Amino acid sequence: MEHGSLTDLTASTFSLMDEDHTLANSVRFTLNQDPRVAFCGYSIPHPSDNKVNIRIQTTGDTAKDVLKDGFQNLMIMCQHVRTTFDKAVADYETNRPSKHMNIDTP
Amino acid sequence: MPKVSALDMPDVPMGQLPEHLQLQRSRVVCKADAPIHLESFCKNFKLEVIRLTEDEIEFDMIGIDASLANAFRRILIAEVPMMAIEKVLMVNNTSVIADEVLAHRLGLIPLNADPRLFEYLSENDSPNERNTIVYKLDVSCRKGGPRMTVKSDQLKWLPNGSELEMTPPNQSAKPKSYTSFSCSQDSMPEFSKKPLGVKHEDIIIAKLGPGQAIELEAHAVKGIGKVHAKWSPVSTAWYRMLPEVVLLKDIKGDDAEKLVKKCPVNVFDIEDLGNGKKKAVVSKPRACTLCRECIRGVNEELVELRRVKDHFIFTIESAGALPPEVLFTEAVKILEDKCDRVISDLS
Amino acid sequence: MDPQPEPVSYICGDCGAENTLRPGDVIQCRECGYRILYKKRTRRIVQYEAR
Repeated sequence: MEHGSLTDLTASTFSLMDEDHTLANSVRFTLNQDPRVAFCGYSIPHPSDNKVNIRIQTTGDTAKDVLKDGFQNLMIMCQHVRTTFDKAVADYETNRPSKHMNIDTP
Repeated sequence: MPKVSALDMPDVPMGQLPEHLQLQRSRVVCKADAPIHLESFCKNFKLEVIRLTEDEIEFDMIGIDASLANAFRRILIAEVPMMAIEKVLMVNNTSVIADEVLAHRLGLIPLNADPRLFEYLSENDSPNERNTIVYKLDVSCRKGGPRMTVKSDQLKWLPNGSELEMTPPNQSAKPKSYTSFSCSQDSMPEFSKKPLGVKHEDIIIAKLGPGQAIELEAHAVKGIGKVHAKWSPVSTAWYRMLPEVVLLKDIKGDDAEKLVKKCPVNVFDIEDLGNGKKKAVVSKPRACTLCRECIRGVNEELVELRRVKDHFIFTIESAGALPPEVLFTEAVKILEDKCDRVISDLS
Repeated sequence: MDPQPEPVSYICGDCGAENTLRPGDVIQCRECGYRILYKKRTRRIVQYEAR
């Protein structure tokens, strides 16, 4: 991973190796929710390179910290999705027997 | 924002933007769907399982952005690991099917092995009981008999590793096996209960004529769908946004009957208003495939087809190695690991 | 190269019988006299990538 600008820390381009739209688009979404972000976007310079560039311009904070928070938020969202999913599956499993009986009884 | 045709827009003085673009540039319009903050996301996110079978799950994911839903889908197809045959050691093949074609067919057979119990085989690693599964196929068709079909259940698991020996570089060297298993896989607790067979026993691998034979060994390793589709753990994984069908005006009488007949998936129904009057209602919007048959021609002003932007109907069809609900949690975990990797790289 | 060339197995194109021939032998099936013989596949292991 490389760091883009060295003079202005509020605007940087980060280059992530071995990543694609999967991670870049998700983190672009979380970053755009952050009120400190003035601009955020990503690009894949060439489809046969395994890398993405993420551009962040902030309203004053260090771009690196904001990016880190973006990933942190994404991780929290994932954890929430996972616990909710596990709960939903468990709910479905407990309710299943009764549903089967409803179908069987005329 | 209301739709404005470019031809109807007022003239704009030089050097300025049209009014609606100026507004977009200078103001953030706070609507209900504008910024989602973490807390409100956690509060509003809902998930409901609709259908769950041995190899298929359908669930509704409500209150999430398409970028995340798509990330999960992409990870499911391309980044959740699986076991698949990667190396085929052909000893004999006198059948009509060419060696490389046969090897390719073997690679695509779904194996009934939990990839979480295995490690990746890296380039300078030797194949051992923690990263490789070995199968043997030894079939021949009797001379003078009828043709025979070779099916996937004739692949036999070799828990002790390869039975073949490499040709030694010189006469004095001791012949080496293709794998170096330190113990038998069926003595390991995780495999002793469940043998590492194939998922479906009736997949046709090849056909043999009288006197023809196939003898080979197949080595399966862990991999991801990004490298080759044989390692994809799902047949498919997809989502669609919840359809919303809205009747803009009341549709009564014969028109209602016509509308109900038009829809191939029976989204509409008739409501009896009493004294012989009928009215069309939307009874099953979820079934709508957005084929637009109902808004063809005259109905365009009566019916509107919409989709709910943050309501995803997610379906996962597992290829068999792992149940679909486990695949989804694994996919989410992989996205978390990706975040974790970048965070530790940044600090 | 080899001091003692190995006999090679051939299969008769007519009756299917197996024949072992050495260099200099007449190319002819011992069972039926047919003169077209096919080389038999060796059991040397060939490795393929299942892709």
